[in-house]
Amino acid sequence: MRNIVIGQYLPGSGFFYKMDPRTKIMGVIIMMVAIFLLETIVQLAIALAIGIVLMILGRLSIIRIARGMRPLFVLLIFTFFFQILFNREGELYLQESMTVSLSSIGGIILLTIIWRLLARFKRFRFFLLLAYLVGIFFAFSLLTYGYTFTTFTFSIYERGVEMSVFVVIRLLVIITLSTILTLTTKPTDLTQGLESLLRPLKIIGIRSEDFALIISISLRYIPTILDEANKIMAAQASRGADFQQGKLKDKIRQIISLLVPMFIIAFKRSEDLADAMETRNFVPGMKRTRIHELAFNMTDAFASLFILCSLAASIVLRVL
Amino acid sequence: MGIRFQEVSFHYPQNQLTYYQAIANITLDIESKNEFICLVGRTGSGKSTLAQHMNALLLPTSGTLEIFGTKITAKRDKKTNYNSLRKHVGLVFQFPEYQLFEETVEKDIMFGPLNFHTGIDEAKEIARETLKLVGLDESYLNRNPFNLSGGEKKRVAIAGILAFDPDILVLDEPTSGLDPRGKTQMMELFKEIQDKTGKSIIIITHDMDLVYEHASRVVVLYDGELIYDESPKALFKREGLEKYHLQYPSPIRVLKDLKERFDLDLDIYQRNLSDAVTALKRAVK
Ligand SMILES: Nc1ncnc2c1ncn2[C@@H]1O[C@H](COP(=O)(O)OP(=O)(O)OP(=O)(O)O)[C@@H](O)[C@H]1O
Ligand SMILES: [Mg+2]
Repeated sequence: MRNIVIGQYLPGSGFFYKMDPRTKIMGVIIMMVAIFLLETIVQLAIALAIGIVLMILGRLSIIRIARGMRPLFVLLIFTFFFQILFNREGELYLQESMTVSLSSIGGIILLTIIWRLLARFKRFRFFLLLAYLVGIFFAFSLLTYGYTFTTFTFSIYERGVEMSVFVVIRLLVIITLSTILTLTTKPTDLTQGLESLLRPLKIIGIRSEDFALIISISLRYIPTILDEANKIMAAQASRGADFQQGKLKDKIRQIISLLVPMFIIAFKRSEDLADAMETRNFVPGMKRTRIHELAFNMTDAFASLFILCSLAASIVLRVL
Repeated sequence: MGIRFQEVSFHYPQNQLTYYQAIANITLDIESKNEFICLVGRTGSGKSTLAQHMNALLLPTSGTLEIFGTKITAKRDKKTNYNSLRKHVGLVFQFPEYQLFEETVEKDIMFGPLNFHTGIDEAKEIARETLKLVGLDESYLNRNPFNLSGGEKKRVAIAGILAFDPDILVLDEPTSGLDPRGKTQMMELFKEIQDKTGKSIIIITHDMDLVYEHASRVVVLYDGELIYDESPKALFKREGLEKYHLQYPSPIRVLKDLKERFDLDLDIYQRNLSDAVTALKRAVK
């Protein structure tokens, strides 16, 4: 349960940590715009390479960032296949007629069984999935024996391949950018930065301080609430609640046995927090002082320069 | 055969990179019948963590654990039915808030028995009986558990575990938050349950008076390690328990002070107030 926490800040040194959160937030937004302006795979690949060099200079572990992206691999794979299958522009690369027949369905069932049997080698999960998909492709195209239900053609076009690679790299770069931001910025700094950036919204009546307070309290309480959920689950499991198996009717009861104490404890906690804040003289709407004021330093100046240059470069590339 | 710990260690993940070792190399045997064990140690010494191993809520990081003949190791085994182990070992948590959820006390007590496939009517009957057992009368059956006082909540939580009749009963600080009278009543209740049914009972507590008076065995944890496992008599005869943040029971402390101050010929190891008074009377005569 712990690894789904969003604020995955990891303490470290390196220049990303020394930057003002405002620079980082603005930087990520501007860089994303710049990335969307790029038009070819080569340009994107160069952007990715520059990104990796920056990460090495900033002493971030690339392996760690890649690991943090693992949950998003499904999204990447999906985008990839979506583009390949449905983009029908440009030169035709490959055309196969596919048969849905008794033998191909049998083959797929066999493949699925083998795949599930091998599923315990978690390390190779990704390659197994790829092999499985390739296997399905060959099953449809080669196994034509037996009663045939229907046939369809599977075709891959030049633009399809290009676009799928393009979109996947673009997604990768964008995810990397935001991962760098969350990995190197404490949640509190992040909200403080947001608050400071959103301050101009006061003109239309939105108070960025309240907004920031809400975000920081929520972030602060995500791990606590998860902890509480674990404890409640343990307490109910000792009374025989089995959250994994059981009939639907039992399941519903067991989920209620989890949710009711969660809500009660969450409400109690929020009341306690409100009391604690009031006893320390927190008055909503008053100007707050801080221990660490945000400050713009040399690193920020260099970073801003770099970010603006990147944006300029991609605009130039787009226009040319 | 009850619960057997063999070199069991456990650590909590702290963040992605570091771990916190909560218990280390625990080797401990608990019989399934007639044990009355108190588990003591300073706050954070790993008592609750150890208790949660006893019904396989936590799996050891290393070492092996055997609960009623079922081997438990670090790896979650698909063939093991962890749920059925919890029928054998009932664990009452330190804070009742984590457990109570139904709109009436009766339904809440019935939750355990129903999970272990007892019929509804039988479960109702059981709820009535166990509630009486923990010292609350029938008027509580239809009350909302969230409106009870801390001590009453605690009793309902204990009833919720007693209701499915586990062989071994593990209680995490059952007496904290009770008034002095309630404490003794609660301890007497556990004694009574044991006399009647021969269940083994394991109690986590900070109250050395209760330990000295009631326990047949004390297990002392310090920084996650098991340092003593012996009778309370033997334990409190030791010098220098203060360095493990343990206090001597009050009869011993009072009698020791009196003995030194008035230079009496006195056996200071008395287990309760009346014995202490008798011993004192004999000494001053
Ligand atoms: N869910 C958890 N995650 C991380 N660390 C934990 C967790 N639960 C407990 N710990 C740590 O493990 C150590 C042992 O905790 P445990 O709850 O077993 O102590 P205890 O002896 O029961 O203390 P107390 O007398 O206060 O109840 C503590 O230092 C605690 O900080
Ligand atoms: Mg505890």
